[in-house]
Amino acid sequence: MEVVSIQCASRSFGEIHAVRDLTLKLAAGEIMGFLGTNGAGKTTTIKMMLGLIVPTSGKVAVLGGDPRTPSVRAQVGYMPEIAYYYPYLNARELLSFYGGICALDKDLVRERTEVLLAKVGLADAAIRPLKTYSKGMLQRAGIAQALLNDPALLVLDEPFTGLDPLARIHFRELMKELRDAGKTIFFSSHELGETELLCDQVAIMKNGRAVYRGPVRDLAGEGEKNLERLFLDVLAKGGEE
Amino acid sequence: MKIFLRQMIAIVRLSFIELLRRNDLYALLALALTLMIPLSMASPFGAGGAGRYLDEVALLLVWGFSLFIAVGAGSRLLPPEFANRTIYPLLAKPISRGRLLLGKYLGAMLSSSAAVLLFYFLFAGSVLLRGGTLSMALVEAVVLHILFVALAVAVSLLGSLIFTPSANLVLSAGMLTAMFFFGRRLPEYAQGVSSALAFVINAVYALAPHAEFFDMRMRVIHGHGPVDAVVMVIVCLYAVAYVAALLCVSTAIFRRKKV
Repeated sequence: MEVVSIQCASRSFGEIHAVRDLTLKLAAGEIMGFLGTNGAGKTTTIKMMLGLIVPTSGKVAVLGGDPRTPSVRAQVGYMPEIAYYYPYLNARELLSFYGGICALDKDLVRERTEVLLAKVGLADAAIRPLKTYSKGMLQRAGIAQALLNDPALLVLDEPFTGLDPLARIHFRELMKELRDAGKTIFFSSHELGETELLCDQVAIMKNGRAVYRGPVRDLAGEGEKNLERLFLDVLAKGGEE
Repeated sequence: MKIFLRQMIAIVRLSFIELLRRNDLYALLALALTLMIPLSMASPFGAGGAGRYLDEVALLLVWGFSLFIAVGAGSRLLPPEFANRTIYPLLAKPISRGRLLLGKYLGAMLSSSAAVLLFYFLFAGSVLLRGGTLSMALVEAVVLHILFVALAVAVSLLGSLIFTPSANLVLSAGMLTAMFFFGRRLPEYAQGVSSALAFVINAVYALAPHAEFFDMRMRVIHGHGPVDAVVMVIVCLYAVAYVAALLCVSTAIFRRKKV
């Protein structure tokens, strides 16, 4: 089953064509890394997947439905690049708030909060105000809120930003664990090494177009050909896949 | 309905936590206590009637503080969500923009109203300490004051979607204060001026929120007793209709706002 299906989607903002004729498909249980330089159209694509903006033309379907509908959003978890979550709350209260927004049962939220805070390494800082958190800790709180509703699809925008090496390793393990549990993960990143280690599929964007789509395993065992080499090659060519 | 209630409770709870953990309320409470305690003990010139002046000062303080809290709360509802980028995970959750805006509004309105109630408790305490009595008019005054708070939050919420934060604070607080003090006199001002200016003044009178409708300070101070129930109902309906109109416009703007 296709969890994400983007067909010939384009999105313009006035004269600026942020995304052009994009086609992407992501199957259940896959991890896709979404690469590209700044302004390549990654964030616009993510916003279309979340239903925050609609494509000017083409179609975006998530879990078989319109991503703007609450029933679809209830199955999606999203973490923005860096969000300065409510500074007067602590992590436990933050998750309780998002649990309420997702209309989850109170006991379930309480139970998941403890599990998730332990998973992202914030159990010891659960009652500290978020204003005292470092960037990396806020990022981990962001991951926890994205996982709170036990989403079928997890969309992450630059998830490695601010994470220290140890937290990156934990994050990678967590993502693999989620994939093994059948979750689908889509994330944008500038971290080519992390993407290569984590992803099943990669898509590379340039000037609003997908210039490469394919499985990461195709890159393995080809000597010098790794994701960084591929990234540089496709950006230099700049053509279609 | 269950989903709606859970979402509303979560947002309203967030507003109360914010009110309790920000310093604004405590600063205003400390200021109110600093001013009201000496006022409650004062008996200027030994004249019993002078207590009315003290009530007037105290109630004016309550109005000033409530305006500050309500306009501040309304104007802070959405801009920080955009500035801190928390709007994205919020809108990615299964909640519509209209519902989010309604929840935000209710949270700010209820938390500001709770602060107003606290100030009225202080006022009532200062009256009783001076040996005065509390009348039914005070209860009506509190009800109307809370309706004013509801109106002020809605005005500044709409302003926050149109203007920059500082411009919104100045415009919302300025307009409400001007209407509070001069609203009832606008028809008088429209007489004896050029027809174009009269048209503008009459248009302002017809469209601007009539903050003065909710002001019962004089009845409380001078012991005139409660107002007629019909008048109360009409003023309540005016507030509800005005707030509903403001929220509809705000929702329409918020739905079209680019994120």
